[in-house]
Amino acid sequence: MLSSMAATGSVKAALQVAEVLEAIVSCCMGPEGRQVLCTKPTGEVLLSRNGGRLLEALHLQHPIARMIVDCVSSHLKKTGDGAKTFIIFLCHLLRGLHAVTDREKDPLMCENIQTHGRHWKNCCQWKFISQALVTFQTQILDGIMDQYLSRHFLSIFSSAKERTLCRSSLELLLEAYFCGRVGRNNHKFISQLMCDYFFKCMTCKTGIDVFELVDDYFVELNVGVTGLPVSDSRIIAGLVLQKDFSVYCPADGDIRMVIVTETIQPLFSTSGSEFILNSEAQFQTSQFWIMEKTKAIMKHLRSQNVKLLLSSVKQPDLVIYYAGVNGISVVECLSSEVVSLIRRIIGLSPFVPPQAFSQCEISNTALVKFCKPLILRSKRYVHLGLIGTCTFIPHCVVLCGPVQGLIEQHEDALHGAFKMLRQLFKDLDLNYMTQTSDQNGTSSLFIYKNSGESYQAPDTGKGSIQRPYQDTVVENKDELEKPQTYLKVHSNLVISDVELETYIPYSTPTDTFQTDETLKCLSLERNRLTDDYEPLLKNNSTAYSTRGNKRIDISYENLQVTNITGKGSMLPVSCKLQNMGASQSYLSSSMPAGCVLPVGGNFEILLHYYLLNYAKKCHQSEETMVSMIIANALLGIPRVLYKSKTGKYSFPHIYIRAVHALKTNQPLVSSQTGLESVTGKYQLLTSVLQCLTKILTIDLVITVKRHPQKVHNQDSEDEL
Amino acid sequence: MSRLEAKKPSLCKSEPLTSERVRTTLSVLKRIVTSCYGPSGRLKQLHNGFGGYVCTTSQSSALLSHLLVTHPILKILTISVQNHVSSFSDCGLFTAILCCNLIENVQRLGLTPTTVIRLNKHLLSLCISYLKSETCGCRIPVDFSSTQILLCLVRSILTSKPACMLTREETEHVSALILRAFLLTIPENAEGHIILGKSLIVPLKDQRVIDSTVLPGILIEMSEVQLMRLLPIKKSTALKVALFCTTLSGDISDTGEGTVVVSYGVSLENAVLDQLLNLGRQLVSDHVDLVLCQKVIHPSLKQFLNMHRVIAVDRIGVTLMEPLTKMTGTQPIGSLGSISPNSYGSVKDVCAAKFGSKHFFHLIPNEATICSLLLCNRNETAWDELKLTCQTALHVLQLTLKEPWALLGGGCTETHLTAYIRHKTHNDPKSILKDDECTQTELQLIAEAFCSALESVVGSLEHDGGEILTDMKYGHLWSVQADSPCIANWPDLLSHCGCGLYNSQEELSWSFLRSTRHPFVPQTCLPLEAVGSASNLTLDCLTAKLSGLQVAVETANLILDLSYVIEDKN
Repeated sequence: MLSSMAATGSVKAALQVAEVLEAIVSCCMGPEGRQVLCTKPTGEVLLSRNGGRLLEALHLQHPIARMIVDCVSSHLKKTGDGAKTFIIFLCHLLRGLHAVTDREKDPLMCENIQTHGRHWKNCCQWKFISQALVTFQTQILDGIMDQYLSRHFLSIFSSAKERTLCRSSLELLLEAYFCGRVGRNNHKFISQLMCDYFFKCMTCKTGIDVFELVDDYFVELNVGVTGLPVSDSRIIAGLVLQKDFSVYCPADGDIRMVIVTETIQPLFSTSGSEFILNSEAQFQTSQFWIMEKTKAIMKHLRSQNVKLLLSSVKQPDLVIYYAGVNGISVVECLSSEVVSLIRRIIGLSPFVPPQAFSQCEISNTALVKFCKPLILRSKRYVHLGLIGTCTFIPHCVVLCGPVQGLIEQHEDALHGAFKMLRQLFKDLDLNYMTQTSDQNGTSSLFIYKNSGESYQAPDTGKGSIQRPYQDTVVENKDELEKPQTYLKVHSNLVISDVELETYIPYSTPTDTFQTDETLKCLSLERNRLTDDYEPLLKNNSTAYSTRGNKRIDISYENLQVTNITGKGSMLPVSCKLQNMGASQSYLSSSMPAGCVLPVGGNFEILLHYYLLNYAKKCHQSEETMVSMIIANALLGIPRVLYKSKTGKYSFPHIYIRAVHALKTNQPLVSSQTGLESVTGKYQLLTSVLQCLTKILTIDLVITVKRHPQKVHNQDSEDEL
Repeated sequence: MSRLEAKKPSLCKSEPLTSERVRTTLSVLKRIVTSCYGPSGRLKQLHNGFGGYVCTTSQSSALLSHLLVTHPILKILTISVQNHVSSFSDCGLFTAILCCNLIENVQRLGLTPTTVIRLNKHLLSLCISYLKSETCGCRIPVDFSSTQILLCLVRSILTSKPACMLTREETEHVSALILRAFLLTIPENAEGHIILGKSLIVPLKDQRVIDSTVLPGILIEMSEVQLMRLLPIKKSTALKVALFCTTLSGDISDTGEGTVVVSYGVSLENAVLDQLLNLGRQLVSDHVDLVLCQKVIHPSLKQFLNMHRVIAVDRIGVTLMEPLTKMTGTQPIGSLGSISPNSYGSVKDVCAAKFGSKHFFHLIPNEATICSLLLCNRNETAWDELKLTCQTALHVLQLTLKEPWALLGGGCTETHLTAYIRHKTHNDPKSILKDDECTQTELQLIAEAFCSALESVVGSLEHDGGEILTDMKYGHLWSVQADSPCIANWPDLLSHCGCGLYNSQEELSWSFLRSTRHPFVPQTCLPLEAVGSASNLTLDCLTAKLSGLQVAVETANLILDLSYVIEDKN
């Protein structure tokens, strides 16, 4: 019964799904990519090259496909780029895994076991591979990025310290971005538009907050106009509100404005209160009072030079009339997003009509440069010249296009570009484990497999991959706990000599220089230490576990633990935290904001090259395998990018040239101009690996007829 | 629970343009729009088969809004044409036909979409820069000091819409009316920023077209009895007007979110009515002569005002509010008390007017930028078509005011342009290709496809089996009737070119439009004296045509670039 409803979740099934998705997304990938037309259930049409949108539009039913789409959209939410690359990379990874396991399966399969049994067994194997992937992602990848790849990085900033951005490098970055996002006849224009917008909005002091502002309020910062050619799109200084004036009184000179969030006219009764009318005269008097009060408020606003009233609610006729009489322009029914955007730009709080009326000055008014109607294709808008108080100089993008679907595509792409820039302007923290064993001073990475798995070993039971020292670690568990608690006490203390003593016993004797170095680092980053308290503790525990091993398996330990050289000099970026165990160290470093690489698969080829190198030095078969699979899958991306190119520019030529250059330590020459964000690529890689891990850990997909419990609960609440 | 139903998977199709179904539907659409094009275009009757409204038209705006298009690719095409029409009113069919032709022609070539799109874009910018340049041989400056060219422009629009069913005489009459209506909307003493007024089209169906007329001011339709009660009014000076946007019916306005408790015996209606009568007293003491209200006026107040010789007109509706505000210079009043004296406006005079069976209350302004165009036509469908045409013409005149140029119509611009493109791509391909990756052969192929698409648009002007020729000097269009004798003496058969600028008595040589011929340089820089002498030109709006050309090429590029269609089946 169950088996008929359940589908086995395997690499093969996932691969089939991924290949279908790959076929669709690869046609819109890269500069040669084409458009896809989607229809919405409402009958509207949408043009798109945005991988995320396409995947969502497909409404996939296959459970694995849905999982993949979920992973892609959560990745997109964060970075705004890379959905197509995600699918292609994932597909290649699955292909690699499938090929490897097919080969490995043969000796295992010689036993005559039942298919179900074999399936479960395979699943255990997948689990180990997925664990290896996790370890790779959390402990090795960052190291490779930091120690090898970083030497190839370029910076988008002309001056790294002040983060000044020159137009030409931004143009290169954006052009490469839009190449993959909008139609090829418009990408140059759109990227110029974005560039203009960027430099018009930003001041020299622009920080990350401006990107956040633009990203959060992008919908409010652009206006779509259909029926005009794309080339009519432009940038307008100030803010365009997608509403018409309820009253417009031309004004110039000193224009002040107020924002209101409730009706200005006082009402008979507010909610929860009761107004008792005893006579007709009382009614007339109250009406008269309301009228006079409204009149007085509007007059007062006028006397304060307020000439513009922005309201988030509809104002009664009376208010509109007195506004007109007093020469105050009114815009009503503004959405809460628009109001909060205006408030963020000029830092203005809403005006509340005073209860007890006084002639006091209204504090929350703001100066505007101008305020006039703007007509775009016979539709009227309000054009507002705000004077920003933050580093953002308000500007609006007017996007034109023959159809709404195209405008939406451009809007989407521009929004994504801001997301991408937002990520690019952030430092990226890298945490990894390193094993320094090389005498020559070049550190090689090493993953201490055993420590990572010591806790998982009881759960997994006896997998197909055997480890000789597994049991011993479990036995040593009690011993491990003691030093752990010891450290817990101390790590909250201010760093002192005591701590030096704490560390020394656990370092190898040859390592005194190293310890000093560590201490120096620690005291420099004193405040940082408490933040990193958690990883520190965890790191220690792994360090102890190896100590435990050392006693038992001396020969193994000797192989790994050789003398450790000073680390400070080798790190490309300043080392923030080091905690030394016997044989390995956890490093935290960071990739500075604005790291870029030339486009055209440079990142992939570089990472491929260094991963292969790493795999050669690697001692464990699993590590080698995972690194090889990832390295080979990476090449799938440039292969798609160079699909249509021939001769000198075909993929094999590019690849061979790049590898040759790397071997002979020559600079890489890219055939294409354009830059791409390293942060984006890195995040993509980790997202894909996480997604793959997710896929591999599932062994069975069970279809249930019932609605999921959560939905049911929600429903019953609605009924109540 | 049913609303939580899972979404159906979408339908995903690759390479949509290669499918036979798409090709057929595209060619059906093309046939529909092609057969409507031009003065001799065929009319389409649109009805739903269950009775009701029947639309007879040959205009793109009416045609496309009634057509139910289901295929997403066709949807893109029709929506982009409709969007163009709603921004520029004119050249919708031109855009649609050109777009269809481009898609069809390019598909036959079998070049990669990248190349096609890139080259189409180059050719488009070549066209645009030529049409905007000083040396352009197919555009003429519009002189606003005389009505001649403006009349030509309006007349060309009217004649290209055969569903209006106008005779030659009627066309002349309506053209003149449209031009007058347009000129009335231009403020007399404008400095710097001009704000145009508005022409309101007032329907008068089942009347002779010749009875159509233009009046300054606003006409409010009302019954004869009502009108008799209001008029006559005897006053020599201008009338003081109060315009209310709030209701004067005695409703109790918004009382807030809480509850209002009214004690027994208290009548709020009376209280409000008192208030209204107080308002009436204020109006009378302010010497207001005319009270206009968007909504309803309470009968008691109305009677009170009438007693004091104040004209009260209610239920004006929201559409007339803006023109009324503009014309009378009032501030719409939203208050039932304490009206500021400068909220009042004025009109020069009011009178009764009768057109056909309808009676109107006519407000005559002091300074007119608002006028009413009373439009008559024999039946409803013809009237609808005429109204659309008038709106188009008024819009085109506004666009021409912004950009005072007109293109030669009747297909001459298109043939001239193709001659120019052929000449350019043949003699100077490097300047078009710049540093692109495309080859000259590819350029020649695409240019030929582009030119023949433009020529097919021109070819669809001819619906009666006639032949279309082009001359080898100006590159203009000449058409011959179908039943003309064999090719003996061209100058006798042809009288004038499509736009009417040149006649056949010049020493010209002709060739058939679709025949192969050597590229030649069409004469650029239109001589001004030639324009001055010609009285009956066919002209097109430059702004609308430029945008139509751009939209057609952009849309074709968009459709050619499609690699997948994902249809949401929910």
